[in-house]
Amino acid sequence: MFRLALQSLRHRTGGFMASFIALFLGATIVMTFASMLDTSGGSSVTSADRDTLVIMANVVGGFALVIVIFAATSTLTLSVRQRGAEMAVLKHVGATPAQIGRMIVGETTIVALAGSLLAILPAMLGGWLLLEALASTGQVSATVPYRFGPIALGLGLGINLVSATVAAALTARSTTRKRASESSAAAMIETPGTGKKRVIAAVVLLAVGIGLGVVTATVSREEGYESMQTAGQASIWASIGFALLAQVLLRAIITVLGHPLAQMTGASSYLALLNLRQRSHQMASIAMPIILFTGLATGTLYMQDIENSVTSVEGVAKSTIQKNIETLNYVFVGMIVLFAAIMLINTLVAATTYRSREFGQQRLAGSTPPQMLSMVVVESIVLAVTGVLFGSIASLVSVVPFSIARTGSPVPDSPAGIYLGIVAVAVIITIVPTPTTTRRVIRTSAVEAVAA
Amino acid sequence: MFRRHSGNPARAADALRLVSVSKVYGDGANAVTALDDVTLTLPAGSFTAVMGPSGSGKSTLLHCAAGLDQPTTGQVFIDDKEMTGDEAALTRFRRQRIGFVFQQFNLLPALTVLQNVTLPLKLSGRKLDHTHIRIVLEQVGLSDRLEHRPAELSGGEQQRVTIARALVTNPSMIFADEPTGALDTRNARSILTLLQEAVRDFGQTVVMVTHDPVAASHACSVLFLADGKFVGRLDNPTAEAVAERLTHLGDDIARQPVALGA
Ligand SMILES: Nc1ncnc2c1ncn2[C@@H]1O[C@H](COP(=O)(O)OP(=O)(O)O)[C@@H](O)[C@H]1O
Ligand SMILES: [Mg+2]
Repeated sequence: MFRLALQSLRHRTGGFMASFIALFLGATIVMTFASMLDTSGGSSVTSADRDTLVIMANVVGGFALVIVIFAATSTLTLSVRQRGAEMAVLKHVGATPAQIGRMIVGETTIVALAGSLLAILPAMLGGWLLLEALASTGQVSATVPYRFGPIALGLGLGINLVSATVAAALTARSTTRKRASESSAAAMIETPGTGKKRVIAAVVLLAVGIGLGVVTATVSREEGYESMQTAGQASIWASIGFALLAQVLLRAIITVLGHPLAQMTGASSYLALLNLRQRSHQMASIAMPIILFTGLATGTLYMQDIENSVTSVEGVAKSTIQKNIETLNYVFVGMIVLFAAIMLINTLVAATTYRSREFGQQRLAGSTPPQMLSMVVVESIVLAVTGVLFGSIASLVSVVPFSIARTGSPVPDSPAGIYLGIVAVAVIITIVPTPTTTRRVIRTSAVEAVAA
Repeated sequence: MFRRHSGNPARAADALRLVSVSKVYGDGANAVTALDDVTLTLPAGSFTAVMGPSGSGKSTLLHCAAGLDQPTTGQVFIDDKEMTGDEAALTRFRRQRIGFVFQQFNLLPALTVLQNVTLPLKLSGRKLDHTHIRIVLEQVGLSDRLEHRPAELSGGEQQRVTIARALVTNPSMIFADEPTGALDTRNARSILTLLQEAVRDFGQTVVMVTHDPVAASHACSVLFLADGKFVGRLDNPTAEAVAERLTHLGDDIARQPVALGA
């Protein structure tokens, strides 16, 4: 089975690209922050510097980790599910569930290992840049030597391999549980719903998010800027909660937008809505990074803006800790933006390329290229609306309580431009890649596309 | 001997006309001449089978005639209208005048039977003629499966959906590429009967590529293709006569590979 795994990897390099990029990026981010722990262990590092470095690694790195695992899991699930038909063939020729499981886990392990090893150099560079940034803002002394060592390597490789393998094993289990005939039918229809466990997890996370928001607005009121830590977590958990529910949320949005959209552009919207409804599972994996991106970026940037105006009104200089938090926030948002953008583009390109055959069938049924393009644009708009709407709601769980805690008013006196900027980025990275990829995909003749 | 249909006055007498159509794949040393200067006229209301050895150019002929691929040289006329333009123009042309039946069905998995059948009408922004749609669906025997998705249907049923989809736009031509290739004998026979009925009852013109002499015997006439050229024709074919002819076609090619080569 390991040989089969290697062979399947070699033949379908494209199909594994999305998982590879997610794992590579995840490992880069985890190792970048984990190298702060290596650096803090240096003998010449003062205890104040050590604290700053450890906070940086634990707080930002910790949340990066949650998101990385989430992203890696969702792309892996997507890539295995997209191969439903291939799995059905394997079952028909007599592969046992255990053999298929070993093949999927084997492939994933190879991809995860390759992704982690290639991430070492960029992570070294990233960690060094992060330390430079901390030193140049005076948060650690300029003499702290950069170290990339066993902690970074161990965490990077370990987390990547463990999360990828676990994700693969879970996906393999759900794939192999179906009987052979079922899975070929399922591969064609593809409408798994949202499982009960997932709904429970999402509800718990949303409750945690709201709970932290309430704590921020009430108990942590006297804590000043420190309440940012509680408030910041609120939107992270709420965003992940919504992301887990993406399929349900997407269906709700389709129900609301369905009618007016169907009136607007005729056959293209009609098809777009059918696709969204019928493939809400795959489509949801695209809405997820949009929710996370919007929720985390909006929450963090507005909290920082509230904090900035509070300190400037008070006329006090920021303490080192406040400056640390500010840097942390900006690094965090930068990372989220980068990660979400790459994940999103990655998922969109993979998902669109995978639809080549479906596009061919549609063209044979009479869709012109402009009709194909407007169809995928309508799909993307619905996804962007879903992602931005629920990301925005998730961010409120941080922003409103923090504003109450710091200024007494639930509505912050911050510029709307920040939000508009975030929405613009979210919309652009959601809507641009799909028609671009579609145009490339439909360049091959429809007959060839359906034969492939 | 071809049944003429007076039902559709807008249609030209010749449903399909190919004028010196050639198709060359690749270039230089790798060039393959899949169609070699083919000229062909098929009257409206005819049912023609195209046969020939594997690689003789049957699919290429069908794709060029149906506007799915562009000939390297030559012209294609459907209903006396020349088929030219970019992909969007060709698609609009096909949507209006051509129906397809493929070996692999090519139904959209996300759509129900009814949605698949009416899709071409929706795409061309035409008003749905529900009476006509109902007649077509009854004809192919799918009236009770309208809400099923393709994955829930047997191969024979899926092929009947594609025939309904081809008929529903009331096209000038229906092209079928190995329509029975993926079906068992019983289902194959019912699909061939449906194609015959499309010609007889709906006045359609059908061109069907097949390698099965029994399938070909359902047509009004059989054209034989070898190395991108028409090399024979059989009217009112029987399966035996077609099989016999095919065997000799093989002999001819084996005997003179150079003379017939591209
Ligand atoms: N897309 C293509 N590129 C290159 N050569 C092709 C292509 N399609 C068909 N051919 C070649 O053209 C010839 C005719 O093919 P085809 O029309 O598929 O034959 P048939 O359907 O009779 O089996 C064959 O030699 C085949 O290899
Ligand atoms: Mg062929």
